[in-house]
This record gives sequence, C-alpha cells and structure tokens, in this order.
Amino acid sequence: MSERKPEDRLREEYFTLLPDIRRVLEELEAEVRYALLPVSNGLLKYEKIAVASRIKDCESALGALRRRQEGNVFDRDRADSYTLTSLNDLAGVRVLAFPRSRWTEVNNIFRDREPFKTWSSDPILADGSKEPLVFKYHGHCSRSSEITAELQIAPMLIGLFWEVEHSAIYKPLPRLRAALSEPTMKKGTGDVYAALKNFEDEFERLIRRDPSAQSSKKSPRNS
Amino acid sequence: MLTAASKTQLLEGAGYAYSFDRLSYINRDARKVFSIEFVQDHDEAELRARINEPAPLGEWRFYFNTEPSATVKRELTDLLTQ
Repeated sequence: MSERKPEDRLREEYFTLLPDIRRVLEELEAEVRYALLPVSNGLLKYEKIAVASRIKDCESALGALRRRQEGNVFDRDRADSYTLTSLNDLAGVRVLAFPRSRWTEVNNIFRDREPFKTWSSDPILADGSKEPLVFKYHGHCSRSSEITAELQIAPMLIGLFWEVEHSAIYKPLPRLRAALSEPTMKKGTGDVYAALKNFEDEFERLIRRDPSAQSSKKSPRNS
Repeated sequence: MLTAASKTQLLEGAGYAYSFDRLSYINRDARKVFSIEFVQDHDEAELRARINEPAPLGEWRFYFNTEPSATVKRELTDLLTQ
C-alpha cells in the first residue's frame, strides 16, 4: 500500500474535527448576536450591522496550511507534524458595521465582554499602516478547547469588497488567492481600502450635519 | 531596504516570474527559486547577490528562509520540471 500523503491525513483530520467545528460556530454566532442586540436595536435608518458565519471548507483549510510552508508544499517526511487545529479560523464569524463609528462601537462591545475579552487580538493592518483595517480576535468557545475560533469586526464596505473579491477571484480559481500576496497586487488592494475609508469618512461628516438623519431610528424588525 | 515593488522589478528584470502555485519567484533557465518569505525578509543587496551567484549545473537552487528538506527539494524539483 502506498504511503499516505500529508493531504490525506489532513482530510481525515478535518472530518474528525467537523462536528466540533460546527458546535463552536453555533456557540460563537449565538454569543455574537446576543451581544449585538443593544446596538442593533438602536440603529438609525442609514446604519447597518450584519453578522455572517462560516466553516472553513476542507480544501480551503488544507490550502491555508500549505501556504504556510515555503514553496507551498508539505514535507512528506513530516506528515505527522501538520494539524488543522493550528489554523485560527476553522470556525469564523464576521460582523460588518456601517458606518465606521458603529464599527468601533461594536468592537468596544466585544473587547469588554466574556469570552472575547480574553481572546488574542490580531487586527488586520493595511500595508504600511498601523491603523486597524479590520479588528480580529482568536480564542476558544466553551464547546471545544481544540478548535480556535475567529471573530472579525469589519467596516461594512471592506467586508463587502472582500466578498466581491472572493467571488470574482478565489471561487473560480482558488490558486489565484496567491496572486494577492504578490507585492504589486498588495498595493492595488491597499488603494481600494484607502478609497473606501475616505468614502465612509466623508459620508459620516456629511450625515452628522443632517439633524433629520440623526433622529430617524430604524424599526427593530429591519435592523 | 527596497520597497516591495522594486524587489519585484529586480527579480522580474533578472528573468524571474511569480508563481501562484509555488508562492515563489522562479527562473527556469537559472534553475533558481526565491520564496515570497525570503524576498520579503531580505534586502536588495542580498537578493542581487543570490541572483548573481553561480548555481550548480543542472540542479535547482532554493532560496527559502528555512532550508527545505531533501524530500521537499525533490518534490519541488519534480513539480518544476513537469
């Protein structure tokens, strides 16, 4: 019988872990939605908060672990040393908030709340900037000490840009994910982030001058 | 330290192309591979020296931050010569 490749071992591990990943995601999403209730109920008509959750699929998980290896290849002699539990985002929830003032407010809610306040903070920074592009936390839920979960809190426009980017680039051809690590491509992406931030900053500046916008509260059903 | 864009220009000017599959800059004529991690962590002078240094005839040379094992070198060589 031929020797099993690291990929084969990791696929087996994935499906062993999957029930736990599902339980973790269920708990994480419930915690997040509950924590957001006070702010969701107070949104103005132009404000939005959305919660999306996802389980990383098997091949994406393998790809993410493989990309950590230089040359994007597993070492067959070290097959036992690879484990999907080293990934921080097998279960993930992303909160999108618009405008940016709600984004920082939402982040403050989670920063001071169990279990998230003990999670490690790992903000995504735009290239060459110290300012967080997206707040990101990793930690464990009560249902598993093995699966590390991820909570992202993103400005809505950036989150939507990522969804478009994902649909346009990764879904048709997953290997193109690597294109974004190419230095010149990173610059193009950074320019998009800067443009979206400028758009939101200007929007908030204008909306703050409009008293009617500040008093038009959204009905809870639509928030 | 050079900017990322100028490192790319340096490598592309020396005949290297970025491979999405290997996350590396590859020159098949020179039989050299620079991982993206190596490129990010080394300055222009180091990159230039590695680009210009002679390589053993007929063998691939891998410039990685962590020296790849013989198994990885063999697998990468197979992939690159397919």
